Amino acid sequence: MSMMKWVGVLSIFSLICFLNTSFAQQPPEEKTKSLEEEFQKALEQAPSAPGPTPQQPGTQAGSPALGIGGSTATGLSRAFNPAISINGLFLGSYTSREPGEEAEVRPGEEITTGVHIQEVEAQFSAFVDPYLRADVILALPKGEGVEVEEGYISTLNIPSVILRIGKLHDPFGKHNLLHTHQFPFIDPPLINERIFGEEGLTEIGIDVSYLLKLPWFSEVRLDLLNGDNEVLFNSPKGSDLAYLAHFKNLWDLSDATTLELGESYVVGKNEFEDISQAAGVDLTLKWRPPQRALYRAFIWQTEYLFAKKDPADQTFDKVGGLYTLVQYQFARRWWIQGRYDLLGIPEAEGEGKTYRVSSLLAFVPTEFSAFRVQYNYLKPEDEEGIHQVLAQVNFTIGSHPAHQY
Amino acid sequence: MKFAKLAGIWIGLLAFTTIFFINPAQAELKVVTTIPDLAAITQEIGGNKVKVQSIAKGYQDPHFLEAKPSYMVQLNQADLLIYVGLQLEIGWLPLLIQGARNPALNLGGKGNLDASRAIQVLEVPTGEVDRSMGDIHPEGNPHYLLDPRNGIIVGQEILDRLKLLSPKDSAYFEANFKNFRDKLTAQIADWEKRMAPFKGTQVVSYHKLFEYLMNWLGFSAAGYIEEKPGIPPTAKHLAFITELIKEKKIKIILNGNYTDPKIAQLVADKSGAKLVILPAAVGGEEDIDIYPKLFERIISKLEVEFRQLQSFNVRP
Repeated sequence: MSMMKWVGVLSIFSLICFLNTSFAQQPPEEKTKSLEEEFQKALEQAPSAPGPTPQQPGTQAGSPALGIGGSTATGLSRAFNPAISINGLFLGSYTSREPGEEAEVRPGEEITTGVHIQEVEAQFSAFVDPYLRADVILALPKGEGVEVEEGYISTLNIPSVILRIGKLHDPFGKHNLLHTHQFPFIDPPLINERIFGEEGLTEIGIDVSYLLKLPWFSEVRLDLLNGDNEVLFNSPKGSDLAYLAHFKNLWDLSDATTLELGESYVVGKNEFEDISQAAGVDLTLKWRPPQRALYRAFIWQTEYLFAKKDPADQTFDKVGGLYTLVQYQFARRWWIQGRYDLLGIPEAEGEGKTYRVSSLLAFVPTEFSAFRVQYNYLKPEDEEGIHQVLAQVNFTIGSHPAHQY
Repeated sequence: MKFAKLAGIWIGLLAFTTIFFINPAQAELKVVTTIPDLAAITQEIGGNKVKVQSIAKGYQDPHFLEAKPSYMVQLNQADLLIYVGLQLEIGWLPLLIQGARNPALNLGGKGNLDASRAIQVLEVPTGEVDRSMGDIHPEGNPHYLLDPRNGIIVGQEILDRLKLLSPKDSAYFEANFKNFRDKLTAQIADWEKRMAPFKGTQVVSYHKLFEYLMNWLGFSAAGYIEEKPGIPPTAKHLAFITELIKEKKIKIILNGNYTDPKIAQLVADKSGAKLVILPAAVGGEEDIDIYPKLFERIISKLEVEFRQLQSFNVRP
């Protein structure tokens, strides 16, 4: 039965893709018909045409770009409105695991068979005054209930420093900084979900980010956070702070290639009023030849995270894991990707190792939409492997987004 | 406490390397431009009193740059940022300015120059626009530097800003600008003369890239290979444009150097028109290192094509 449901989801998805690309097929006038067919044939053979840069799915639209002029609104009456953009994610999913087998949902196993709203997100950005910029991101995860995913102000006038105050995706590694619609794969890495939970580490606090005076990009971020994360911290007093440090370096190896190395550390109080800490290291290689920037790109990203809780509790004592992924753009609108996840180096007590292999194919018509299909094989130790298939439709409307590198 | 010690060492190392790499104060103004045309003009006016870098290279399409952190480093150390404006750079420049953490470059700052301010902008959409129409620039066509007369207008803006930032060099900048303007004005007259016989020519172009050039030379576009700006054409539209070229007896298809010529070549093959690839920026083809050379190359190329057509007794 679940298989039938999945086939239905997949057929709808293929139909959307097909309709979207084949609008050229309307009945043409007799005169141009043969010519059109010739072009159709030639187009199918020729590498795709230039056009808007499809963003690699991993870095889809970021926050709405404040026009350099501050607002993208054109009319006088709208001049001071914030730049608004809305992002929607629809998800069809299938899992080979029958529901109700497990009482507790472990990372990667929350996927159920069906059609869902994965998330709807609204972003508002504007300059507050000559000194501050504000960003507010409201999310409706699964389409239900509004939550403030991010909401912060940033300073504009401190040389080499940005001071951010509010709630934001904390700079712990690479993946934790991303919104759901920016994920390189449809689901998050196992290790991120394991140590920070589904929402990731998004605490309220103060973030100081300092650009070092070096010939390459080198940035230090220090954060003072309210340690609320339910998996890692969650101190009952509610008054205990967490401290985070992130150090990021990025080198241009050539016009086309960059190498990024990041290190992260966070420490705070947990529910036993004892210490919880996490550390991570990430390495990213990106290649996009400037002459062919629209058509080819390659990204290889690896992250290792480790967390330790004192004393050991029912969640974990210590746990580590990594993921490594590659994304390759082989045509103007197409990406193919692979990912390997390993959870349990070291293993949390009584959990064993879990690994997952994922592959993904993305069709990105413009920078405002993407259609992606992903397959996972998830294998917890001493258990039967689980097959999962995910299909996602991703769209952005509103103010032109700027794209994070 | 082992951690505290390690952290201490780490911070110490950071501080050391930072001090080690800080550049000593330099007398010259550091200017960063988004596209090479702006860099070339700035260089002519600023001479040896400025150090100019362009973020985009001539072979890159400036619509689609990535907001690389290394550009933030360039901007962090710059005294002046000059950009095209009209939302050409909207996908990446706002992030770079924010990431640069250089208050001088903020909007309204002395170090922020939108070069489009004095330009008479073409194709400003009237009425409602939306994305179903493709990648529309709501503030108008941003490729204004492909009319050399606009180069002079922008040069004046750059002159004013350089004088503001370095008043002691005002006379030097003035003299350079006058030299740039007078030479270019004479060249413009020459180019106009050479192109005068071909006024009224109709062409087809791939993207709305050469509108200012055509406006200057008195050409017009009969159609575009892109049906909607920034969206790859459909087979139906290609068939339509091919018929149009045949019907109107159009001889020339224009394509910018950073756009893949395959589709335009396909249309040329089917329609019998000639595909002419023009450099769209300084550095777009070999040996184009200064702004006037860009037009010398464009005019020469067009001249060759037109003369060839004439020798076959075909009016372009």
